[in-house]
Amino acid sequence: MSGIFDTDVENAWCPGCGNFPILDAVKKALERTGKAKHEIVLVSGIGQAAKLPHHVDVNVFNGLHGRALPAALAIKMANPSLTVLVTSGDGDIYGEGGNHFVHNIRRNPDIAVFVHDNQVYGLTKGQPSPTSDPGWAGSLQRSGVIAGPFPPLAAAIALGCGFVARGLASDVEFTADLMVRAIAHKGFALVDILQPCVTFNKKNTYQWYGKMVYKLPSDHDAADRARAFELSLEWEERIPIGVLYRSSDRPPFEELHPGVGDPPLHARETPPEAVRDILRKRLFTLSG
Amino acid sequence: MRVDVNIRVTGGAGQGVHTAGGILSRLAVAMGHHFHATQDYMSRIRGGRNSYAVRIREIPVRAGRAATDILLALDPGHLPHFLSSASPAGFAVCDIAATGPGPADRRVIVAPLKELAVAAGSPILGNMVGTGIVARALGIPPETVDRILAIEFKGDFLEKNRKAARLGAEWASVRVPGTYRLPEASFHPRMILSGNEALALGAVAGGCKFAVGYPMTPASSILLGLSADGPPLGLVFEQAEDEIAALNMAIGASYAGARAMVATSGGGFALMAEALSLAGMLEMPVVVALGMRPGPATGLPTRTGQEDLAFALSAGHGEFPRLVLSPGSVEEAYALAHHAMETAEAYQVPCILLTDQYLGDTVVDVDPGDLPVLPVNRRIVHGNDVPRDPNGRYLRYAVTGNGISPMAVPGEPGITVVVDSDEHTEDGHLTEDHAVRVRMVEKRMRKGEALAMEALPPLLSGPPDGDVLLVGFGSTKGVISEAREILAGGGIAAVAVHLRQVEPFPVRAMSEILDRYRSAFTVENNRAGQLARRIRAETGREVAGTIARFDGLPFTPEEVAGRVKERL
Repeated sequence: MSGIFDTDVENAWCPGCGNFPILDAVKKALERTGKAKHEIVLVSGIGQAAKLPHHVDVNVFNGLHGRALPAALAIKMANPSLTVLVTSGDGDIYGEGGNHFVHNIRRNPDIAVFVHDNQVYGLTKGQPSPTSDPGWAGSLQRSGVIAGPFPPLAAAIALGCGFVARGLASDVEFTADLMVRAIAHKGFALVDILQPCVTFNKKNTYQWYGKMVYKLPSDHDAADRARAFELSLEWEERIPIGVLYRSSDRPPFEELHPGVGDPPLHARETPPEAVRDILRKRLFTLSG
Repeated sequence: MRVDVNIRVTGGAGQGVHTAGGILSRLAVAMGHHFHATQDYMSRIRGGRNSYAVRIREIPVRAGRAATDILLALDPGHLPHFLSSASPAGFAVCDIAATGPGPADRRVIVAPLKELAVAAGSPILGNMVGTGIVARALGIPPETVDRILAIEFKGDFLEKNRKAARLGAEWASVRVPGTYRLPEASFHPRMILSGNEALALGAVAGGCKFAVGYPMTPASSILLGLSADGPPLGLVFEQAEDEIAALNMAIGASYAGARAMVATSGGGFALMAEALSLAGMLEMPVVVALGMRPGPATGLPTRTGQEDLAFALSAGHGEFPRLVLSPGSVEEAYALAHHAMETAEAYQVPCILLTDQYLGDTVVDVDPGDLPVLPVNRRIVHGNDVPRDPNGRYLRYAVTGNGISPMAVPGEPGITVVVDSDEHTEDGHLTEDHAVRVRMVEKRMRKGEALAMEALPPLLSGPPDGDVLLVGFGSTKGVISEAREILAGGGIAAVAVHLRQVEPFPVRAMSEILDRYRSAFTVENNRAGQLARRIRAETGREVAGTIARFDGLPFTPEEVAGRVKERL
């Protein structure tokens, strides 16, 4: 397959990696938005998932581990006309960057966040991630994970995120559709994507997901927050995919922030007369 | 006539120490004089022992003084602590009745602060009764006091404050000595600014359009200044969830083309170290204001120190060029913040503005002409100025002679801007090619060499040759300069050297200066002599020693002069 968003950057993923179909889904979704390359910014942190932006021919900010969200927020604040997307892994967004995940859902910037959730640290070779199932034995917790898993969808719903969805890497069309809807949502949109790690996660495999997941029925009321929260906790017996929760009650951060807007920050000037006015205000005279 | 009066207002947090000190400072300016105010406060919201020292002279003042001439103790419990530093003719004003019989010290003038405050309308006006008493001791006409209060207060509160000050002045008329009466001089409009306010103004004047931070003493007032003065000029301010987010946000904004800055202290800067390295790798211009306080860890959170020089120079993993500026006065805080904005963008490097609690909280009156409005030269390329390779692509990291690549921003039609914290090729995509790696390291480091060519030279005051050099960086400038004058008065030809840039180090200029004088001492607020080590490492020259102070308080000129004399 070749498309307008392809790049010639050498790929470093394992054969069969769940990142490949996610990359296909991202490119499909971008094509469907009709945006030009220069209008889109892909932001990522560090990890195998975070390399995805290098394979999409758009603006790319590949920053530090865990720090994709602060950079994405600031890019959006500096120039709200840009379509800002984050693609990174579960360790990056939910672990190292957990604080930014919490507080950016509170802020609600118009950013779509795609989390490649493979429940394992792949690039560092097989340690448990924040979403690993308890008991799963990774290379640094040999007797099995003791901590309970971080529930990304439940946490997002609890924090007031207005678009909470779960995708499945192997279902490219379905996941691309979720991405398109996430991008269209005005505010922080989370798509947690179940992603097999063919090298290090022998439990949550393509086959396992095939058995566990089900698509939310068409009559699911995505406006029902309590029901969405209930669904977000389903995991042991079966796993729902689709848009669990959706609400447009909260305007995006950029619309509420008094300074953000047109013109973008790079085009704002610093006229000498305006500087003089600011200085003049500080002048101490006897008339006050 | 020479004027040099040092007033100290002390009290618990919440007693109006800051307000009284601010009013007395403005009264001095209204009388045509100049002042230097330093703040010493404890890490608490209410109570404790805070002090606000206002030194008044007939010439601009750039250092405090240890000996107190007039002490206004709003909390009588503070008397024993501060009386020990009273000057020979000095006196204290306090309301002993508040805590029962006080010390039978003839220097203490017992004043009914609380009683008069209640008479003026509220017991909280004790600070203004005291201000009225001190204003009377300084010989300031009541109408001048009324006028200044009208600038600071409004409505009913103004009337109460005026009444309190008047009752204080009337009470004082036959009770306080006239030792410290200020002669009238002609008034000139001045700017009244703290070091932190001036730094924020300089950044705004330097085109800063994105500022972000997490509150931390003593840098919070820089953030306050940016959030107050910036928005009228299009600056966007945001409080971050932590310092890690703050610097990553500033870098994100910089990528999108905004001049961006953060402000923090040592602990917050430690959290920013990884992002500082990111700015080095992505070649993103960004400014970090680092207001130092004593460490390690939480240390003395509201006091002063210069312990983070070595840290500022080395923070961030890997090798990358950076600019570290160290303003020595309120005027320099303004000028160097502007310079930081300009230079960070010109070289696409992170810049650290190294200041401290002493300079940040110091308030002085400055000549409006000393805060010039300088041009903002944006370097971002747009449209036809965006260079393209033969394939029509924009190369964010195009290898150039001086290492500086033309910087375009995302949103520019027809191109994409790709940046990566991994080692990258000219187009910004990650690579593990060792030859590319070497070229990129060389490219980044060449910017440092170019930056070094433009290093701001040290500033000298004193004779062209002499007995001893006193070398400092940052906030010690005014103190060292006055210490030099004291030594000169005692027949010692001393020269003050102020380093306003410590990285890239002005190697040649500093080496030449050191070679001209018999001996040199560094004067620094740290125990290890970090500046002395820096001078040795950069110039290969040894200084004779270091005058160190690390108790959390700033130097005073008499102290520095005395300690230099002991060492000669």
